[in-house]
Amino acid sequence: MHLAVSLNIASATGQAGLTFAEIAGFARKAEAAGIDMVVISDTTEERSSSPFEATTLLAALATVTERIGLVASASTLAHQPYNLARRFASLDIISQGRIGWNATLRQNSREAANFSRPESITDEDFRRRAQEFIGIVQGLWRGWDADALLFDKAGGRFHDPVKMHFLDHKGVFFSVRGPLNVARSPQDTPVLVMSGLGESDLDFGAKVADVVLFEAEGAKAAYDDLKRRAVAAGREPETMKVLMTVGVDELAAGGMEAWLDGKSCDGFNFALPADLSALDDFTGRILPELRRRSLARSVYAGAKLRDRLELGAGGAK
Amino acid sequence: MSARQMKLGLFLWATGHHIAAWRHPDSHVTAGIDIDHYIELARTAEAAKFDMVFCEDAAGLREADINIASQTSRSIGFEPISLLSALAVQTERIGLVSTASTSYNEPYGLARAFASLDNLSGGRAGWNLVTSANPSEAANFGATGLRPHADRYERAREFATVVTGLWRRSGAGHDGQSFSVRDPLDIPPSPQAAPVMVQAGASDDGKDLAARTADVVFSAAQTLEEAKAFYDDLKGRLAAYGRQPDDVKIMPGVAPIVAATKAGAQAKYDALQELIPDDVGVALLSSYLSISDLWRYPIDGPLPELPESQGMKSRQALVIEQARRDGLSIRELARYFAGARGHWRVVGTAAQIADALQERFEGGAADGFNVMPSWFPGELDAFATMVVPELQRRGLFRKDYEGRTLREQLGLKRPM
Repeated sequence: MHLAVSLNIASATGQAGLTFAEIAGFARKAEAAGIDMVVISDTTEERSSSPFEATTLLAALATVTERIGLVASASTLAHQPYNLARRFASLDIISQGRIGWNATLRQNSREAANFSRPESITDEDFRRRAQEFIGIVQGLWRGWDADALLFDKAGGRFHDPVKMHFLDHKGVFFSVRGPLNVARSPQDTPVLVMSGLGESDLDFGAKVADVVLFEAEGAKAAYDDLKRRAVAAGREPETMKVLMTVGVDELAAGGMEAWLDGKSCDGFNFALPADLSALDDFTGRILPELRRRSLARSVYAGAKLRDRLELGAGGAK
Repeated sequence: MSARQMKLGLFLWATGHHIAAWRHPDSHVTAGIDIDHYIELARTAEAAKFDMVFCEDAAGLREADINIASQTSRSIGFEPISLLSALAVQTERIGLVSTASTSYNEPYGLARAFASLDNLSGGRAGWNLVTSANPSEAANFGATGLRPHADRYERAREFATVVTGLWRRSGAGHDGQSFSVRDPLDIPPSPQAAPVMVQAGASDDGKDLAARTADVVFSAAQTLEEAKAFYDDLKGRLAAYGRQPDDVKIMPGVAPIVAATKAGAQAKYDALQELIPDDVGVALLSSYLSISDLWRYPIDGPLPELPESQGMKSRQALVIEQARRDGLSIRELARYFAGARGHWRVVGTAAQIADALQERFEGGAADGFNVMPSWFPGELDAFATMVVPELQRRGLFRKDYEGRTLREQLGLKRPM
């Protein structure tokens, strides 16, 4: 079973934000425990107390961890698709293939007001725009063939020009020529994690996502439905993992086996508040129990996040 | 010992600043996909007590022609904010400055990313504001073409006002021509209060914006006279914004090639020049001149008359001036600029390079220099082990770090 922990560094209400040393310590603890990935988010509806923004934090964490996957949430409203694709491709090279982008299809009400959209944007427009945005990002990530870089000093050929591809996207919300000026990702494309899917996003999510984070409620039906839609989109169903997002307090370790036996998810994502005692509670109490039941791996299979999650090449081509 | 000491920045650039650096037998040809290469360069610069490392940036291909692009190492590299965030926790004292464009970002997001970098580094971050002049970038951001120079600067002025306001806790509630921001920045300040502001624009609009907002100005000048004229001009503009001459540090680029003997240094330079293909040199020159058909003219003939650029105005003027002054053919000019992209090049022994830097520093043309090694890591190692000790012997450069933050290193005031 796949295990993730998600940490909202912005949600430390009534306390000073976590230091880098504390966050790094947590990521290393999760790594030592065999957790597949840490998901960092940094926005709330309230004002944050965190000194860090999630993608910059990921770059720093990449240099002080070795094996654990590192995923950051980044808003489609706060970035341009070219810039965001570039940031994550760069992070994937820095981490040697351990990066994922958590894209949400649900908008944060504070963001429109800080990103020059005082009149805000309708949920429907946000969703359509986000879908176009995600398609561009994945397209840009595929702009360089795996064997494009030649490094031929004597012959004077750095790369093969026919193995670099323009995207030439012209859509409703964006036009982006490409290619990305970052080399191909070590895991071909960073892992695309999606969250906040509503009923009308399910076909899109089932087509493009590598990992879907789902609320625990109504899990079995939602799981079967998503996998069915993935098959309809021409995918092998196991190339998309569905993780149930649960809070530590909401689910005792003993209940998890029943969930997995009933095949209502491929694993769990534990949502933790930015509070060190919750982190310690998770690593000290729940993880040992999972390991005792052989549910959490203590050795990593594969150096890259995509391998660890057994995702294959990922998403629709 | 001189009371006033020069500031030194290391201009990072993948395999090196020379266009053919990647072909040098000892260059790290995989630099664009190797984070350890950058960690090593930053640590070398930190051991040599440089004030900062600096990354330029472009959100698109630098060469319009993909066949030209494929003969350079310039089409791939790290996105600089993620690169510097990684370096922030792998270094302790050196400043970390990244370029980011006001044309293709939003001020709240950019202020947030730099504030985060500033916290990750304990107060060592800087933002180099650019307005972007490259049409291949515009094509990645939905624009039908490059916006006129004056419009880009109008947007940049508002952008800078919002970002510095957010960093200084006064930028919320902005509702302007190009941007609106409701909330205060949700990232608390670092020990240096706000990242250092850097600019490099040398047009009239660019210099005025720098006089208003910059802490550090990077410049390009071939001669002492050009450098001094720029220095006097920019420092002279400060009073209009209630600022003192020492509030802004002017750091011209310098591309040194150093060896134990003058002949040895010249041989190193000549060997690099030999590695430049003519079509790459002419394409690069075309981009600095903001024209696309330079290849139509005889390569051994003179530079033709050119229309005024909407791109990098000052760089175009500088190239034309150089061609006319020295009577250079297109081929000669292309090779000349391919080497250091229009920046000042000094080839010689450590003492000769220190002499040249000292002359400009003491001659009122520079507060320090942005060092552009021709190839990495070799030319950085040579500068760090030969030129830096010579500058220290002369009392022109620090022997150890004086402060914790980049502002303290540069002797800048805390922002209000």
